[in-house]
Amino acid sequence: MTRVLGVGLLTGWGAGVAALPEDARRAAGERRVVTAATPPLAGERFRRATRECLLGVAAVEAALRESGLDRAAVAGPRTALVYVTAAAYGASNYAFIGAETARPARAEGGLSEMRSGSALYFPYTAPSAVPAEVAIEYGLTGGYVILVGGAAAAVDALWQAGTLLTAGRADTALVLAVETFEECAARWTTPRPLVEAAACAVLRGGGELEYGPGDASALETLVARRAGETLACGPLVGLALARAAGAPRARVTGRWRGRRAQIALAT
Amino acid sequence: MSRTLGRTQAVAVVAAGVATPLGLDLDTFWSALCTGVDGISAIERFRVDDLRVGRGGEIKKLRTLRHGRLPRCRASALLLLAADDLLARAALTADPARVAVVVGTALGGVEEGERALGEGGVRAAAGGLYDSPAQALAERLAARGPVLTVSTACASGATAMGVGADLLAANAADLVVAGGYDVLCRFVMRGFDALRSLTRERVRPFDRRRSGLLLGEGAALVLLARDADAPRVRLGRLLGHASSSDGSHVAAPDPEGRGLEHAVRGALAAAGVGGEAVDFVSAHGTGTPLNDKIETAVLRRVLGGRAGAVPVNSIKGALGHSMGAAATLEAIMCLLASRDGVVPGTAGYEEADPACELDVRGVARAARPRVSLSTSLGFGGCNAALVLEGTS
Repeated sequence: MTRVLGVGLLTGWGAGVAALPEDARRAAGERRVVTAATPPLAGERFRRATRECLLGVAAVEAALRESGLDRAAVAGPRTALVYVTAAAYGASNYAFIGAETARPARAEGGLSEMRSGSALYFPYTAPSAVPAEVAIEYGLTGGYVILVGGAAAAVDALWQAGTLLTAGRADTALVLAVETFEECAARWTTPRPLVEAAACAVLRGGGELEYGPGDASALETLVARRAGETLACGPLVGLALARAAGAPRARVTGRWRGRRAQIALAT
Repeated sequence: MSRTLGRTQAVAVVAAGVATPLGLDLDTFWSALCTGVDGISAIERFRVDDLRVGRGGEIKKLRTLRHGRLPRCRASALLLLAADDLLARAALTADPARVAVVVGTALGGVEEGERALGEGGVRAAAGGLYDSPAQALAERLAARGPVLTVSTACASGATAMGVGADLLAANAADLVVAGGYDVLCRFVMRGFDALRSLTRERVRPFDRRRSGLLLGEGAALVLLARDADAPRVRLGRLLGHASSSDGSHVAAPDPEGRGLEHAVRGALAAAGVGGEAVDFVSAHGTGTPLNDKIETAVLRRVLGGRAGAVPVNSIKGALGHSMGAAATLEAIMCLLASRDGVVPGTAGYEEADPACELDVRGVARAARPRVSLSTSLGFGGCNAALVLEGTS
């Protein structure tokens, strides 16, 4: 069975599952968005990187640490990267559009309003910018899939990573999800607190994958209660919670646009 | 699981449907490609007077659907037009819960976000989510299986077909409608224009005088089924696929083409064939000085001594770079070339470039490839390759 070596987790609540409150809604109070701190990654390499990119890089770093792997262990063509997001391209898109419409989206962190609207930042409007920065930072040149969607798409991403491992197309797979909301908070109408997050699961091993439609798992309920609405990060938060609880196996589920998907993994 | 490691299970490409500047159905598109029709024109649908380049592969007029109305979102409309064309050629005969939709896009519904911001603010911009058009397609098809949106930039159409094949191999669906789409809109024109990627001249893939790309729009869908379950009458088979990341730059391809080469070799390995089996290459061939040179080097390494003898083309000279739709359109073109024994020419190609020593021709030629290789690259260091087998 495909197994999870480790999960790196950064949320608006802090780093790791220990930072998650018992009740996210209560902890959020009146806040509509619980913003994740911008990782302090400085230097020329990241001069144009968006906040989403920095969160992605930091989540992978945390995942490797949790997995006991160093960078050399994942560099090269035998590590696949599967990235998923429902929202993390929103800030750069709206900044780029806003630069023309004179209604610039409010941007924070590594990207100012004027900079984000300029031509050099156009490539950062693509969802592929986040995994690109991750691939560059860690030297990942293996299988590469980018999915757009919420929690169900994250389950799809875990399945896709498992497929790459099972087919022998990769030895290690990183499943990365990043969600940011601060710059476009008004467009989201979900009732729970929106909690920014970046999460990365390191997978190895192969075998038949239990993947398909399914009912909500207990983990999904737990993730909603403890983390709040993290969209595509939700199933990865679930894996982190399962590992923290010492569960040998986890059935993670995720729902998005009326569809719920599930997958079972060894944790 | 009884597969050879690294191999992917071949899936049948049952039928295809398209919406392109060359035609809003498969037959018109194919005829135009073979006869050298130019799909590039002055962009009329939105303002371009402040841009360096205002031309592209724009679809001037959308036709009506056989059933239902076209949505306001142009991306969804193009997808539904391609689906309309597809469904005129093949029926979705599976349980709706076993029909999956996997579509690739570089831009999603961003034009809706652009419009919403211009008209009334961020709250109205929900349609700008990148996965909205795929949902519109799934609803129209009444597909209730997995609905996935892939966004590996301009390689999206190939990645989507690969993910669709994986869904079938995993028995997560019995039929998959897979493909890609993107629209020409001010958002993307502003971006590419400012990057100086667009040419003021003709698009000339692999030509000595090539000076850049032009964007286009379109949608392309294929119906995939497990080989054993598919009808005997089909366009062909997807034998193998692979993807890779360059890990070198956010916007530019790896100068050595190492990522692309890895994807190509991976796809060939997945198909269980070597470079010597490739009869035809549908290149990404954007017409930028760098892309075509890199692709040439990769193809020469993969094809070895046969590189100069294997027909290569790029259809981007005829319809522009249709981004998320491009790779699926090119895969379909490969299968039609096998079916009809004609390889379309590379519009705009006239003068050979010593840096692009490949068998490229400006006009269509008689050839009936059995095994074709299709290559794709995109922003973010995205690479994807497909190995296809046609029916003759």
